[in-house]
Amino acid sequence: MWPNLPKIPYQRYTKTKTVGGAITVTPATLPLQSGQYAGQNELENWLLVDQPISRIAVPANLEMVSISGNGGGALVVDVADNAVVTIMEHWHSQGESLGLLVILNVGANAQVTYINDDQFHSQVAVIDRVANVGEHATLDWTVAGFNQSAGFGLLQTNLLGRFAKATVNVGALAAGKQHFGYTTQIENIGQKTVGHINQRGVITDSAHLIFNGIGHIVQGARGSDNQQENRVLMLSDGARGDANPLLLIDENDVTAGHAASVARVDANQLYYLMSRGLPKAQAQRMVIRGFLDAGLVGIDGELRQDLFAQIERTLLNGLEK
Amino acid sequence: MQTLTIEDLHVKIKAEPKHPEILNGVNLTINTGEVHAIMGPNGTGKSTLEETIMGNPAYEVTQGDIQIDGQSILNLPVDERARAGLFLGMQYPSEIAGVTNAEFIRAAINARRPEDDPMPIMSFLNALDETMATLEMPTDMADRYLNQGFSGGEKKRNEILQLMMIQPSFALLDEIDSGLDIDALRIVAKGVNLMRGENFASLIITHYQRLLDYIVPDVVHVMKGGHIIETGGPELALELEKTGYEHLGEA
Repeated sequence: MWPNLPKIPYQRYTKTKTVGGAITVTPATLPLQSGQYAGQNELENWLLVDQPISRIAVPANLEMVSISGNGGGALVVDVADNAVVTIMEHWHSQGESLGLLVILNVGANAQVTYINDDQFHSQVAVIDRVANVGEHATLDWTVAGFNQSAGFGLLQTNLLGRFAKATVNVGALAAGKQHFGYTTQIENIGQKTVGHINQRGVITDSAHLIFNGIGHIVQGARGSDNQQENRVLMLSDGARGDANPLLLIDENDVTAGHAASVARVDANQLYYLMSRGLPKAQAQRMVIRGFLDAGLVGIDGELRQDLFAQIERTLLNGLEK
Repeated sequence: MQTLTIEDLHVKIKAEPKHPEILNGVNLTINTGEVHAIMGPNGTGKSTLEETIMGNPAYEVTQGDIQIDGQSILNLPVDERARAGLFLGMQYPSEIAGVTNAEFIRAAINARRPEDDPMPIMSFLNALDETMATLEMPTDMADRYLNQGFSGGEKKRNEILQLMMIQPSFALLDEIDSGLDIDALRIVAKGVNLMRGENFASLIITHYQRLLDYIVPDVVHVMKGGHIIETGGPELALELEKTGYEHLGEA
């Protein structure tokens, strides 16, 4: 079933047909195998129609895996127990529509840094990523959502094993007439699991960005913690933003919390920067960049510079209007 | 020589139009080369005066004028006032994530220069290193996000770092000594004293004579009830330390 949350018109987007694209994996020694995967819900089944599923097995001794794709696709990534690895995904697309399904299975004791550089420019993008985190494993997941598509992204983390930990950061930039929604969900299933969601979105022009955050602690997940923060910043009169936190707690012995805000640029911060001589537009760009930075915490180096340059360009276009 | 002139300044808080004026006729002339101190009880409008000079949009001037070298700056936005030579060392500096201290200071310096002639990066870094050493700031503070997670004392020191790097003509310092221990106070005062000279003036708000032992003012003003009721030399501050403000009547 579709998650029963407001304001993301799932059905509208899934009426269109998806087109799978080419996927490249580095290092080349890592075989991209055709595999089997049974869809777990209606959306996964829809994404699997006409899209062959590929599988990658990441061994424990690899430090870095890079996955690039043009268009959509369906992919299962199995990370071996005890691996310490960074998995970097770069996606881009053009054309009408695409659907992307990625299942990431994190083995016991593994530590995975998972970075998604999403640059979908097709008219519609439907993204579904599911991470299953094993016992004592850690997932640090950062999604840079720099799409120009309409559509939605589901980011689901299942903390399956005891002591599994996940942090999911989303930094999204919405511009033009874009309508995009993220539903980021962490489910505490194992005992003493820790899940944190941190979503930051900046909206310009007449774009609409929605952040749904779902924290679900299931019965029996004693000693677990689930926290979330969803914040959007609107930069123009036509911009619309929503931040909807949802906590579903079915166990007593747990901690959970949420924070959400839908706001405009902080006047005190602007005043401070301008009092040092920075023109208003430049001061605004600095505050906005800083705000979004908190959703891109896991990203550094060249990708970080690229993303920041993109933010500057989008803001220059948006703020001057 | 440059001159900052405050003429019969009346100020209200924009959000509270029914509240009586906070400033009701402030007159003040500050020339470069001079350091002025403003003392006075809490709630008499000292911070309002400095914030209004800087152009904080929360305040509204209902009467009077603020001029630099005879030119009114009342219609200038905050950033243009800053580029005209004003600097406000704030009581509560904002924290801004994602922007490093060094990047911010460099942007502030370059905002004062022609777009095609930014300060060369090496000269900037050398100047920054040197100034941070003077202020006994650890070098990693240059790469930390602007005021993010800084202690109260670190924030104040960082205000002085910006002051020294930007080199304004008029520095308004709002309780730059609050929350400082004695060593930090000495360092902050050293920074301000290094700025002193014929091209620099300062208007320092303080509650404590102690700061004025380190930064000896040329002129001391006492504010009460929204205007200046007494002006004198440094001895006035010493006197106030003994007698307090109670006995000073409304002028």
